[in-house]
This record gives sequence, C-alpha cells and structure tokens, in this order.
Amino acid sequence: MGAGRVHEQVTVRESSNRSGSVPPSDAGAAAAAPGSGDRSGGASPLSRVPRVLRSSLLRVAGRRLLTAIPVVWGVTFLTFAVLNLLPGDAAQALLGADATPQEVARLRVELHLNEPFLTRYGHWLGSAVTGHLGSSLGSGQLVTTILAQRLPVTFELILYAFVISLVIAIPVATVAARRPGGVFDSITTFITMIGLSIAPYILALLLILLFSVDLALFPALGWTPVSGGLGANLRSLTLPALSLGFPIGCFYTRLLRADVIEQLGEDYVVTAVAKGLPSWRVLVRHAVPNSMFGLITVVALNVGTLLGGTVIVEQIFGLPGVGQELFQAIQTRDFPVLEGIVAVFAVVVVVVGLLADLLYAVLDPRIRYDNPGQ
Amino acid sequence: MTAVLEVRELSVRYRPRGRVVHAVDSLSYSVGAGRTVAIIGESGSGKTASSRAIMGLLPRSAQVSGSAVLNGIELIGLGARELRRHRGHDVAMIFQDPARSLNPTMRVGPQIAEAIRAHRPISRAAARERAIELFRLVRLSAPEQRYSEYPHQFSGGMRQRVMIAMALSCSPRLLIADEATTALDVTTQAQIMRLLTGLQAQLGMAILMISHDLGLAASFADDVVVMYAGRAVERAPARELFGNVRMPYTSALLGAVPRLDRAAHTPLPVIGGRPPVLSAPPGSAPSAGCPFAARCPRADDRCERERPELAEDEAGHAYACWHPLAGSSHEISGEA
Amino acid sequence: MTIPVNDALPVPGGLPAPGGPGVADAAAASGAARGRGRLRRSLALCLPAGFLILLIAACFLWPLVGSVPSPVGGSVLDSSLPIGSPGHLLGTDADGNDIFSRLLYGGRVSLEVGAATQLIGIALGGLIGMIAGFSRGLLAAVLMRVLDVLIAFPSLVLALAIAEGLGPGELHVIWALSFYSVPAFARLARAGTLKLRDQNFMLAASLGGTPRWRIVLLHLAPNLLPQLLTFALLGAGVAIIQEGALSFLSLGVPPPGASWGNMIASGEQTMSVQPALVIIPCLALLITVATLNLLGDALRARWSAR
Repeated sequence: MGAGRVHEQVTVRESSNRSGSVPPSDAGAAAAAPGSGDRSGGASPLSRVPRVLRSSLLRVAGRRLLTAIPVVWGVTFLTFAVLNLLPGDAAQALLGADATPQEVARLRVELHLNEPFLTRYGHWLGSAVTGHLGSSLGSGQLVTTILAQRLPVTFELILYAFVISLVIAIPVATVAARRPGGVFDSITTFITMIGLSIAPYILALLLILLFSVDLALFPALGWTPVSGGLGANLRSLTLPALSLGFPIGCFYTRLLRADVIEQLGEDYVVTAVAKGLPSWRVLVRHAVPNSMFGLITVVALNVGTLLGGTVIVEQIFGLPGVGQELFQAIQTRDFPVLEGIVAVFAVVVVVVGLLADLLYAVLDPRIRYDNPGQ
Repeated sequence: MTAVLEVRELSVRYRPRGRVVHAVDSLSYSVGAGRTVAIIGESGSGKTASSRAIMGLLPRSAQVSGSAVLNGIELIGLGARELRRHRGHDVAMIFQDPARSLNPTMRVGPQIAEAIRAHRPISRAAARERAIELFRLVRLSAPEQRYSEYPHQFSGGMRQRVMIAMALSCSPRLLIADEATTALDVTTQAQIMRLLTGLQAQLGMAILMISHDLGLAASFADDVVVMYAGRAVERAPARELFGNVRMPYTSALLGAVPRLDRAAHTPLPVIGGRPPVLSAPPGSAPSAGCPFAARCPRADDRCERERPELAEDEAGHAYACWHPLAGSSHEISGEA
Repeated sequence: MTIPVNDALPVPGGLPAPGGPGVADAAAASGAARGRGRLRRSLALCLPAGFLILLIAACFLWPLVGSVPSPVGGSVLDSSLPIGSPGHLLGTDADGNDIFSRLLYGGRVSLEVGAATQLIGIALGGLIGMIAGFSRGLLAAVLMRVLDVLIAFPSLVLALAIAEGLGPGELHVIWALSFYSVPAFARLARAGTLKLRDQNFMLAASLGGTPRWRIVLLHLAPNLLPQLLTFALLGAGVAIIQEGALSFLSLGVPPPGASWGNMIASGEQTMSVQPALVIIPCLALLITVATLNLLGDALRARWSAR
C-alpha cells in the first residue's frame, strides 16, 4: 500500500479537487499508510522521512553512485595520462641529477617504467579495484599506509574549515538579509567582498604574521594529533582552517544572503507575516531553510577547490597532510602515490555530490515525490 | 449593526525616484459583521494595495495615511508588535496563488499549527488537534493524513482550503480574500465561494472580497465598491449597484463581460484607452479632473477640469460622476 | 551571487512585501530607496571599473613613461632598503631589486595570465559547453561525462602537474591554468545553453531552417555572452590567485623575473624581520582580485536587473 500510495500521488497530483474522491472505506487504509497517520511533523529528524520515501532516497543514492564510477575511473585515467605525457622521469627524479644513465635505466626496469602506458595503467587499475594501491616509487611505503597517515589531517582541516565557513555564512547572511541596504548589511557586504578576494595562502601568511609572529597565539607550524590533546590539536589547525574557511565563508555569505532576500519576496513569506508570526520566525523557519539549496549546490561544487587549497596551506603550515604529499608526488613523478591521492579526491567529490543530492531530497519534499534521482 | 472594519480616507503613496504615486486615494468604506463587501477594479486600481495597507503588508517605502479601524482598534500606524497581534487573529487574509502562498518545504499541518500558536499559548498537540478540526471545517477529506502532507500534494482547490483553514485558525472577525479564487478553475471557484459563504454564516465573520470578477461580486457580495485609479468611484449595496448602474466605468465593465445570450461573433465591447499613469510630480495633489475622463464616452470639459466627489443618493448608492447614467440595469451572468 | 535590486524593502516588522499585480503595486518596487539604489549601483560599477583601468595603465604604461628602476639586476649593495628610501619608493628586496618596479611588472604577469586564461576559457570552453548543451543524444551524454570528470578533478593538481612538467614560465602557467578555465566555462555555457535551448526564439530559429552552427553562433552565443563575461571577471581573479600560488611554489614565473607569487615566496623567508616584503604583494593580489570581483558582481547585478 505504501509504495502504491506514493505512485498514486505522483499521477493524481494535478487533478482537480480531490476532496471528494477518496471513498470513505479508503480513509482508514490511507490513514494507516506509512508517512501519514498520527505522527506530527515535528519529532526527530529521521521520522520526518517516512519509510516509504527512504527507498526513493536509496534510489537517489544508487543512481548517483552508478554515475560516479565512470567519473572516478575517468579521473584516475586522466591523471595517469597527464603524468605520462609530461616530460620528466620518475627514476631520474628519484636518483637525482648525478645518477648515471645506467643507474637510471636499471631503476626504470625495476619500477616497470618502460612498459607501455596502457599496460601500466591496467596493472594499477586492476590492483586498485581490489584495494591494493601499490607502493610509493620513492619510499616504497604502501600507498594505503601513506593515505591512512595523511588523510585524517587533511580531512580534519577541511572539516574545520567547512564549519568555520558555515558559522560565518549562515548567521551573517540571515541578519543581513533581514534589512538589505541597512547598516549591518552594508558593513558585512564590504567585508565579505574583500574577504572572498583573499587567496587562502595570502590569508595564511597574513594570519601567521598577525597571530604567530606578533601575538604568538597560534602555532605557525606543525600539527598536533588529537592524542596530544584536543585543544592543542584544534589550535594547530585553527590558522590553516581559518585561511581556507574565511574566504569561502565570505563567498557563501554573499550567496546565501542573495537567496534569502529572494525568498523573502516570495508569497509564502507574505502568508507567514499575515499569520502574525514574529519576523525572526518567518526568517529562520521559512525563508532560510528554503534558501539552502543554492548553498548546497555550491558547497558540493566547491569541494575540489577546497581540496586543492589544502596543497598550499599544508605547505605553509607544515601540516603532514595529503596535500603536501600530493605536491611532492608530482615533483617526483611518484605515480602510485599520485594516483592514490587523486582517486581518493575523486571519491570525496562524488560522495559530497551524493550527500548534496540526498540533502536536497530530505529538504525538498517535491523532489522525493517527483523525480527521484533527477 | 456595528462595523467590523471602518475605513476612512485611506491613502497609499509611493515616492519612486522623486515622483509621487497615489496608489490609493481617500478610500472609504465599511464592512459590517457577517457581511461581505466586494472591492472591484482592474489591475492597477489600487484594490490590492488598499487591502494590504490594512494588514500592514506594504513595503516600507509606502506611505499610508488615513484610518482603518478594526473592532475599534486603529490599524494604520500601529507599531509592529501590536500589528502582529492582530494579524491572523482579528483579521486574516487569503491570497491569489495558493501554490506559492504555502511554504513548499514545510508540511501543511505545522503551518497551520504555528499560526495558532503564534496567538495562543497552547501545546503542540493541542494545536495539531485544532488544525485537524479546521481541516474538517473546510471540508478536506482525511484530515489527519492531510496534516502531515506537503503543499505540492494538494490540488489548487485543496490548497486554497488549507489557506482558508489557516486564515480561520483564530476565528478572525474579518477575512480578506484577495483574488482568492482567481487562480482556480471555475468549478473549484464555485466550491470555494460556497465554502466561504457557508463558513461566514457559521462563524458570523465579515468578508472583504477583492476581485476583478464582477460576476463573483454580484453573486456573493452584500455591498460593492468599484475602484478606478486608486479611488472609489461607485459604492452601493450589490443589488442596487447592478440593478441601477450609475458610473459609466462600471457600465462599461459590465458591458465587457462575455454573455451567453449575445449572438455569436459579436465583438466584445472594450473600454478604449488605458488606465491613467498614477505617477505625478512630487508634492502634487492627485490630478484634477475625473481620472476616467479620457476614456469615458460621456465626458465633457467639466469632467476634465473638475474632479467629481463621491456623493451618496437616497438608495445608499454613492458615485462620483458629473454625468451618471440614469440607472440602467444589467443582467450579469452570475456564478458559473 | 547577485546583489539584488531593491525589491526586498521591509515592512514594519522588518520583512518585505510581495509584488502585487498592477501599476500601483509595481510602483512599490521602485520605492524611495531606489533613487539612492541607482546611484549606489552606478558607483558600484564605475569605481571598480575605473580602478581596474588605472591598474592596467599603471602596470603596463608607467614603466614605459615614468622612470622606474629595473625589476631585476639590482645591486646587492642596495638590498633590503626600507619603504620610502630615495629612488626606491617601496624599498628593495634581499637582492636589491626595487619593490615598486617588481610590483608593476608582477602586475603585468598577473593581468596577462588573468586575461589570457579567461579568453581561452570563453573561446574553447564556451564552445564546448554550447555544443554540449545544444546537442542531444550520445554526443551530449559523452560531453557531459567528460565535463563531470574535469569538474571532479582537483584542478590545482592538474595545474601543478602541468606547470611542473613544462617547467616554470608565464606561458606555461597560462596553459596550465587554461585547463581549469576551459571546463569551468564549459560547465557554465552548458548550463546556460540548457536554459535557453527551449526558449521560443531558439525554436523559431530552428523551425525557420537555420543551420545549427548559425543558431549557436548568432542566437545562442550573444545571449550567453553577458553571463560568460561576468564569470570571466571573477575567473580572472581566480586565475590571478592561482598564478600567485604557482609562482609561490616555484612553478610559475621563475626568479629573478617578477611575479607577485614569487615575491611572496622570497619574502616569506624573511617574514619576521621584513614583513613588508610579504605584505605588499599580498595586498596587491588582494586589491586586484577584489576589484575584479566587485566589478563582476556589479555587472551581474546590472545585467540581471535588466
């Protein structure tokens, strides 16, 4: 009955006045259908997603994962191709400038660098799919080990930066949108326009100058793992996360502000005001939730940029993360490491895209009922 | 009969770019308890602006003057917090496009519940009960189920019922229906109007109906006010107005209504010209002369020079014209 | 990221009213603040535009006209002079090169890179995007997948790899960064094309028998151009930042050539004693990118208000 009911709603939706069309005998069955009944709309978040609809969320997820696989594959292939097309030789880079040609040639054979491009890619892909990402050409370490060591740092950094960006964007945009052109809005517009023009590495250097050199509040270098104390851990990441998070936060603020202002011009907001709701409630409960969609899209699209930003930021702050490793791998043509990292990046981008899709579906009921997997 | 709403000399002015627009000019009417007043006019006549002025829903740039007294309380110039107490509670409004007038990402039930809880300190569960009760009142089937559904799952007519339920949630004395049935198909329109009149009889509520649909006004209104260019140009009890049309404008409007008893392919009489531009130099009073003069077949020099004021005759029929019609009657094709 | 027109004017209680039908209500959108709003908008457009022109003029013309010392080949005797030293307006760096002159020449690099990458992006990326959006069936699907891959690709990785592989140099930086701008424009052009594709004027053109390439060039492109141009301004800012990043990582313009990025890199080493060496190019980058962003935003507001 549940699945059938969803289907019925999709097809019957636009017919005129249904109020007389449900025969009394169905009323009981209809009331028993999942998702309806006596559950009020305000309980725990997950109960807002009725059981029958969670299957369509799965459909959304499934579709997205299916398209993800060729994308991830494409990324790894492209990386491999680019790396091979580039001049420069891994063996040479590893041995240094004063290696003899014989030594270089021998290393090349050892590392299978003489085999044709597709063969090497095939080998890599074959083992990668089973989880064996190979070993670093330089250090011989397992790529998976390297990733396991370095990914947590980068992920923590990105998460922290993301939190900072939202903490900036959501409140500021909400308050600014309430009175566009007002004092708060004008000041924050100025600040955010400047803010989003600052490159992360520029902000990083300026922050170091300010906080570490002059004020000695935050460490300029190094990363303290959580085992060394959560406070120290966070402090070591604060400046880097701020460098990444502040410019992006300013960007999100502009975006969200524009969307909230647009939503405030919609009819349902007039209804909310006409109902006699206090203006903060109209803003927070009606306008802002409906303004999130643009932000979600942009966040998902920006993940790649955020990941790229970690390269320089980790370099500047000496963080033992994946970004730094990536840079070195490029320099030494260490393709297993590079491939591994790039593959992880691609997977992250895809996963974030998936989360965004799911978030849309959760926030906008029309998507759930309308066209799952659109 | 005490008036629920007494509007006196209501004016709304905007000042775009240093000019002044008299969107509404000295509008006066009253709505008695349990009565229906229809405000009729074309787009730009100021009918919507006037109703929004009462509810305080106009942008900050609008200058509202005059008086609108609801149950003895002056609404014009009321502070934000005070106004909020009356909105939804003493006077409620339903709008033209129910598809866009409901929050699309919020379930319908909670939207009604929050309207109730904004004015009464009751629990969530109690608000929910009341909302379901309201759904029954507006004749929505399966009300418990409807509570948890989203607006897009409803048809147009059902959504308007939800809006009505929302508006009635605190039993307001006055309901303002701003083009409430314009976006609905004719059958649904009839159903909604019947629902409204039924509820009115049941609850003793006054209704202010804003519309451009003369047929609707004729069928459902007790009193009719015709607006043109921001002013009331004719005002009378419905039967009197349609039985005894005075204003050339009103007559022309009625003449433009398509009728079944006309021969096929008869050209539809239109009113030539366009509504006047309401923008004027700053500080100026509303323009001299009758605003309809340029388009009126009966206009003469006096009409262009002197603005006629609204004057009421013995039958309670007020009109503003130097050359009113001698009281011709029009049959309206009534409710479809 | 539009700065919206003043159509969200608050009611008492602080929230805006809807647009209602009709002349009188349409006048509400042009309330008292609109006069101020127009001035503000013109200013928002003219100030950054003027400043940008000034910037371009300064970087490209000043060294030709004024007497600016050479950005390279400074004597070590003059090293690390402070700001305001005679003959060196902003001082000198560790090698004795004049900072102000390096600033101007570095600006040339930045502006050239910005302009070139965006032009390539619009031309190539725009074309690809239009084709991707306009065609249907297999071609569209394939192009869409390719674009998805390029989007998922951490662009900086690509830029780094290319710059690393090709070696330092401004031209290589432009190639490397074009790999980023082309997909970005392609994505934008494709989205815009999808929106315009089903509009009436497009259908009319194809019904009239106009060949597809003509439709794309004469009907589609002009309508996409405003959006692409505003994006180009913002993208130029991004490219300039990326060039700075690459030069910072020694993958861009090699020293002793001047680039804001490598000025920052060499300044970083002596940051605690001579912060000016870092702050000055940082500010230059910031101001330039901010100008481009402000201009792009103002244009977008102007064009969407229309």
